[in-house]
Amino acid sequence: MKFKKMLALGLAGTMTAALLAGCSSSGNSTAASTDAAGDSAATSEAAPTAAGKVYYLNFKPEQDQQWQDLAAVYTEQTGVPVTVVTAASGEYETTLMSEMAKSDAPTLFQVNGPIGLANWKDYCYDLTGTPILGELTSDTYALKDGDATLGVGYVIESYGLITNKTLLEKAGYTIDDIKSFADLKKVAEDITARKDELGFAAFTSAGMDSSSDWRYKTHLANLPIYFEYKDEGINSTDAIKGTYLDNYKNIFDLYINNSTCAPTELAGKTADDSRNEFLANEAVFYQNGSWEYVNLTQDGTFTDDDLAMIPIYIGVGDEANQGLCTGTENYWCVNKEAPEEDIQATLDFIYWCVTSEEGTKAMADDMGFVIPFKGAQESTNLFVKEDQEMTAAGKVPVSWNFTTMPSENWKNNLGSALTAYAAGTGTWDDVVTAFVDGWATEAALNAG
Amino acid sequence: MEKAIKKYWPVFVLPTLLAFIIGFIWPFLWGIGLSFCQFTTVKNVTFVGIQNYIKIWADTTFLHAFWFTAAFTIVATVLINVLGFLLALLLTRHVKGTNVFRTVYFMPNLIGGVVLGYIWNTLLNGVLTLLEKPLLQLNATYGFWGLIILMCWQQIGYMMIIYIAGLQNVPPDLIEAARIDGATARQVLFRVKIPMVMPSITICTFLTLTNSFKLFDQNLSLTGGEPAKATQMLAYNIYDTFYARSGAQWKGIGQAKAVVFFLAVVVIALVQLRLTRSKEVQQ
Amino acid sequence: MQNSKTTRRVNTVISVVLSLLCLAYIYPIVLILLNSFKQERSITTTRVFELPTAESFVGLHNYIYGITSMDFLKSFWYSLFISVSSVVLILLCCSMCAWYITRVHGKLSTGMYYLCVFSMVVPFQMVMFTLAKTADTLKLNNPYNICIIYLGFGAGLAVFMFTGFMKSMPVEIEEAAMIDGCNPLQIFFRVVCPILKPTMISTAILETMWVWNDYLLPTLVLDIKSYRTIPMAIQYFRGSYGKVEMGPMMACIMLTVLPVVILYLICQKYIIEGVVAGAVKG
Repeated sequence: MKFKKMLALGLAGTMTAALLAGCSSSGNSTAASTDAAGDSAATSEAAPTAAGKVYYLNFKPEQDQQWQDLAAVYTEQTGVPVTVVTAASGEYETTLMSEMAKSDAPTLFQVNGPIGLANWKDYCYDLTGTPILGELTSDTYALKDGDATLGVGYVIESYGLITNKTLLEKAGYTIDDIKSFADLKKVAEDITARKDELGFAAFTSAGMDSSSDWRYKTHLANLPIYFEYKDEGINSTDAIKGTYLDNYKNIFDLYINNSTCAPTELAGKTADDSRNEFLANEAVFYQNGSWEYVNLTQDGTFTDDDLAMIPIYIGVGDEANQGLCTGTENYWCVNKEAPEEDIQATLDFIYWCVTSEEGTKAMADDMGFVIPFKGAQESTNLFVKEDQEMTAAGKVPVSWNFTTMPSENWKNNLGSALTAYAAGTGTWDDVVTAFVDGWATEAALNAG
Repeated sequence: MEKAIKKYWPVFVLPTLLAFIIGFIWPFLWGIGLSFCQFTTVKNVTFVGIQNYIKIWADTTFLHAFWFTAAFTIVATVLINVLGFLLALLLTRHVKGTNVFRTVYFMPNLIGGVVLGYIWNTLLNGVLTLLEKPLLQLNATYGFWGLIILMCWQQIGYMMIIYIAGLQNVPPDLIEAARIDGATARQVLFRVKIPMVMPSITICTFLTLTNSFKLFDQNLSLTGGEPAKATQMLAYNIYDTFYARSGAQWKGIGQAKAVVFFLAVVVIALVQLRLTRSKEVQQ
Repeated sequence: MQNSKTTRRVNTVISVVLSLLCLAYIYPIVLILLNSFKQERSITTTRVFELPTAESFVGLHNYIYGITSMDFLKSFWYSLFISVSSVVLILLCCSMCAWYITRVHGKLSTGMYYLCVFSMVVPFQMVMFTLAKTADTLKLNNPYNICIIYLGFGAGLAVFMFTGFMKSMPVEIEEAAMIDGCNPLQIFFRVVCPILKPTMISTAILETMWVWNDYLLPTLVLDIKSYRTIPMAIQYFRGSYGKVEMGPMMACIMLTVLPVVILYLICQKYIIEGVVAGAVKG
């Protein structure tokens, strides 16, 4: 008897859930778009059409909804089914690997630069001669392997020091006072000296948790690499010299010694902690990128008047003309193994995204992207606008050379060394070893 | 009757057998085959002999994962069983509220590994921050003990239930007789109760042993193998090699690792079976 | 007299200790529950232990956001459907198979039995890639037929448990039924099934716990273009660039945990008995 009761209970639960699921899908566009894809798959089995379909494995979870919406618009206009799937954070490579093995593999995926391309180049369709390449504003955004163009950068991002102007003024400075590393150091140390009186610190915590440490092991480490490449006149290397590692140390020291918390506590801070400190007006500077704009402004905590992004000065090169760190680590690749008509459909889709009114508008306004294509629309993203203004004023953007870092392993080892250094359990020499020797080791592994 | 049933084999056995072939036998054999090959998808398979098996040992993360898993398995098995047994002893004393306690202690078992990992990640990181210590993801030692705490929290209740059943099956007369013979509480415990619940102990040890050795979900969501793969256990290491490492050689190596892992589990199971058998003969 | 008094005192102490332990057991879940009502900014590593305050309390906002942004109800439905269908299928097919194995002696029976025992030992990582590929080729990659994969991979334990029980079942009743003119199918459903009920329940519980909570198998096998189960959906609260939507994530964790806990409280007797029965036979 009791068993029957349980069964009845289960059934009742099932039915309620089914009803609820029905409600949710009718009122939700994500569900609608996936449903549409499902339906089309069903119909294509019954009657194969030559139209082809698009399956985009998206990298950025923040823009998932926007891509779903854009895909729905495209499907509505052209009848071509577009499925967008977003990989969970940190799972992109895993998901891509597992999806590529399936019969219905992604037709459009992305790699993060030359190192990422090396693994997937056997799957990349050669884009040479496709219309989308003609739309690029600069050839530097085409990812090449020999003569073949295998990837195309679709979003440009910038990072630097996000500054809370209101707090900076409270401390008696403006962003015009910071034009070099020496200025930055002076301001930061002055704020630290008056920390109790002012009620805020210079920098948000440089958290070394994996959610946050990429800001230092990857983005900050880009600067010494950039200046070294510039000196040597190269684009990548198998053996980094570490010419500017002292400057790297100086800026990192500045971050950790003028922060909201003691350097020893940094190991316990996450990306969320750092952002929340900035949102709570606990610090003036926050090293991060244009993608943070939405997070900082969405609930009205800050308006454009409160914020600015200034270059990360490390005391090298022509600081007066240094711009933000601008580049891309998001390249679209088209799957060569996909059926002919799907490849064509995919090429049409990305071309439409970067040229059509709806596409460019969605990418600029909804996703907050700046796209390196001629038809790009003005972005509402403050940091992006600042980057454009600086470039227009003759400042030279720092390119993203971290895409040439030899491996994830290299970054992780550097991150561990930085963490230990900040916590006082390791020395700067260990960081140098991880940087220079680790580079050579990992580059050798890649070659063999 | 046997003959009559035999005629019905397509009804009784065939569905299970077919599913078995699809879901287990074929993938298993294919998996063994692929461990001798280099491949990224099934389209580009090339035979490379035992190279993958040789390369496993050049990958330091695998050996590290092996020892990490071994250490974890031993500590977790001992802790879970000792604590589970202790709780079972206390709960068979007719203490007030026994039912409530039993219900609560068992509950964590029903929550999935991934979810549990996130719950404990939040809690433990909060505690570590209060103590001004590095987070779980940054220190392998904390990561290790975090996993142990999580496993204990999840598994103790389950083992406790089995031990309670075992203890309740000990005839009260036997204990009474021992008491009358002047046995102390300790002697009753070690000479009467523990030998009598030996079957439960065997089962629980086996369950905790295999559960800990094959642990994946909790590992993934609690530490994610951080820092720098130092808290990666075998199952996760294989998954990571297979899906997350980029480069054509890694899939074959991952599959080879899986075969080695499988053999290790078989060895544990066989040893366990042998021990169980010998105990059963004695009784 | 003296003796029972000390026993009583000791028992009181034990009661207190165990009650404290109970609190420690419930605390992690309560912590998540409390945080699920807080605004995201107040769920940092330093502030997780704070109770929601007027400033940080956001009511059901996290729940609503989590449910809508992640299509949580859909995931819930898929998880539920997969669990129910897989467990029903496993119970039906495996009990039939087990009956055949115990009643018919031959190569097929012995072969199946040892295969089942063997499959219990094999770790999932051994077959994850090939299984995913097989499921993809055969189109067993949606919530409505993934139960076949679960039957294949989960048959071992179920068959093992059923045979363990059936070995002790007297054959006489079945023989009597046969003389009365029943065919084997009728015997199985009218005679064997009712006797099997306790084992059915314990097997059902063990298998449900496995399927409902399973993460890796559906992640690799399911067609992720259209379907996500709950354990998969929860992963999606972590964004790129290190942002975790803690609030909605906690809310969804609560939504995942609560039904299970409620179901457990309602039929805990069966669950605990089932576990014991399962363990004794396993």
